[in-house]
Amino acid sequence: MSLPFRPASAPWLLAHELRLAWRGFRAGRKSKGAMVAFAILGVLILVGGVAMGLALRDIEVPIVPLAVVIADLALAVVLTLMLSSTLAASADALYERGDLDLLFSSPLRPGRVLLIRALGLAVNAGLWFLLPTLLLLTPSIVLGHPAWAAVFVVLIAAALCATGVGLLLAMALFALIGPRRTRTVAQILAALIGAGFFLASQYRNLLGEQRSESLIARIALDAKEGRIQPPPFADLPLRAAVGEPLPLLAMVAIGAGVFALAVVVLGRRFADAAAATQGAETRKAARGPTRAFAAGAFQATVRKELRLMRRDAALLSQVLLRVLYLAPLALVMARNAGTLPTASLAASAAAVIILAGQVAGSLAWITLSAEDAPDLLAVAPTQMKVLRQAKLAAALIPVAILLVAPVAVLAWYQPLAGLWTAIGAGLSAWCAGLVHVWRQKPGKRADFRRRRSGSLLVAIAEIAVSLLIGAATALAIAGLLVWAVLPLIVAGALMMALRRTDEQIAAALRAAA
Amino acid sequence: MTDALIVRGLSKAFAKPAVSDLDLTVRAGELYALLGPNGAGKTTTLRMVAGLTQPDAGEIAIFGVDARKDPAGAKALVAWAPDEAMIYDKLTPLEYLEFVAGLWSIEPRTAKAKAEQLLSTLGLADEARRRCEGFSRGMKQKVALAGALIHDPKLLILDEPLTGLDAAAARLVKDMLQARVDAGGTVILTTHILEVAERMADRIGIIAGGRLLAEGTLDELRGRAGEASGKTLEDVFLQLTAEVHT
Repeated sequence: MSLPFRPASAPWLLAHELRLAWRGFRAGRKSKGAMVAFAILGVLILVGGVAMGLALRDIEVPIVPLAVVIADLALAVVLTLMLSSTLAASADALYERGDLDLLFSSPLRPGRVLLIRALGLAVNAGLWFLLPTLLLLTPSIVLGHPAWAAVFVVLIAAALCATGVGLLLAMALFALIGPRRTRTVAQILAALIGAGFFLASQYRNLLGEQRSESLIARIALDAKEGRIQPPPFADLPLRAAVGEPLPLLAMVAIGAGVFALAVVVLGRRFADAAAATQGAETRKAARGPTRAFAAGAFQATVRKELRLMRRDAALLSQVLLRVLYLAPLALVMARNAGTLPTASLAASAAAVIILAGQVAGSLAWITLSAEDAPDLLAVAPTQMKVLRQAKLAAALIPVAILLVAPVAVLAWYQPLAGLWTAIGAGLSAWCAGLVHVWRQKPGKRADFRRRRSGSLLVAIAEIAVSLLIGAATALAIAGLLVWAVLPLIVAGALMMALRRTDEQIAAALRAAA
Repeated sequence: MTDALIVRGLSKAFAKPAVSDLDLTVRAGELYALLGPNGAGKTTTLRMVAGLTQPDAGEIAIFGVDARKDPAGAKALVAWAPDEAMIYDKLTPLEYLEFVAGLWSIEPRTAKAKAEQLLSTLGLADEARRRCEGFSRGMKQKVALAGALIHDPKLLILDEPLTGLDAAAARLVKDMLQARVDAGGTVILTTHILEVAERMADRIGIIAGGRLLAEGTLDELRGRAGEASGKTLEDVFLQLTAEVHT
């Protein structure tokens, strides 16, 4: 379908970017189930929005410290998540050589290319927040608060600001550490920024304070009791969101200003940086003696998968993100294992087990479904069963390494709880991996972040089994061993329902190919 | 002597027939060129021989091993090198060869020595411990070729092996293939560069519309096409394939 704009104009190029982004989004969500899930989620948000609209019908938002702090925190969270997304995307944009080669070899000015690409990034980052906000807030807007439509404008300003900062950061990284490392560092930085608020909210746990309390709850309490006086201009986001013209204008000016600054400053450099990435992947050859070759298909496959995982920046950043969420829990468990009430200990152990399943599932998807050279494996005389076992083992090794320290410390203080946690985490990781063995679907490493949209069934099953095993472990730690059997039976039944024979796996893969 | 490859009644259809009732024999120790226009069924045929695509019907025997009944036994004798190199960008050539050797269960010390020798022969010794992600297409093709040769296959199948190679690399690959045949190995290749087939192949098969049109030495093909002895393979090829379209 041709685009309804003058060729080579800015809107035409933007429409092209958005069309590619939309097709990329759709490509990973072809199944009806995924679309149904999105529709259900949309309806649920809308229902929540209607309820909120009715409840807030005659209520005006007061400009008081508590409301100001909540609005500031909400905006900070949104900005952080947007920045996380735009930073990674900005680094990727520099590496999309084929696309950029075509654009830069055309008569288009590089500045315009950057402007449109940056707008595409902003739209992509903003839409994830605009769409649910649209559903949630529209009933309130219709039911007596038309000025609240300003929230959308604030979100657009935030997306522009985050894109500007993301681009500037990516280019700064590019200048500081060179093109080769920029993408890796940007991915990891994006993960750290994304998890920043969670870690900040857990600072008391991380710093060793005994009482577990979230940062947000603490600030809210202080504000409510009048201990916090927001600094000047801190009320800008709240006033803008409720539609006050001057604050709204200021927010737009800030967002658009940062965006424009990034585009103007980076216009020419962006083209140069993109050009400089050609051949940037050339690394220095490794030094030192070479290792002995692996013996046999199993060992060779495990070694190959571990190497590929270690060298995959996007995967590392995603796993790091999960580990960051795991760290405060593990610290709480390790530090307070001797004194923590049984219920808290059981809940923390369950959380560790669920996260172990999640990490194992992610790694198993990479090793099993995202094989780069499936034909090479298919022409080899090795049994597919052996290769699958090796790939599953490779996915579980990093999980085991991650769990060793927290489980060992827990076992030191509470041996039985440590034993149950180790068994539960191992079982959860193994089951998550098995789900991917049985239900593997060929994909690409680049699609890692949206791997779940490929099969809703696998995504739900993976989470459900981890939840059930987590619950069983929590019950066992709490001393309710008999009750622990129940979720295990359900998990076992679920696994049996998902199980496929080697022939069925081969047939499914053939059909997918 | 057992034939390297015997294909009988091989058929495969996707949306429409890709290969129809194909018979083919490749003798041990020869270089066989399978030629045909785009979409003729060359790659589908070779993928079935390599065990990558399940035939709808027919028989495939590789050095007497029934590839449909004993796929692992047949695969142990074959190497498959497609036009798109089956390599991993994040592995070095040496790591890649370690993996491939593992898949074919080659003894580690033998495999390592062979890998180093192959990389040296292919002019990749200096790149042996550099990740493939920065390599040119030609270099990646060479790494894939080293992977195909590391387990010393009795039958080497190459789909467009010279695509993307510069003149020097193409010469190197051709010399390696010739040396392999001279040493008693069997090579099947597809190519659109008819001069290569004309100069290198012991026998040539021409396929179109999923059927084998003609098979034999260049002189036999000339005879089949009714061409004078001075005609090139290109003339013969165009005449034979034109008959299918008319």
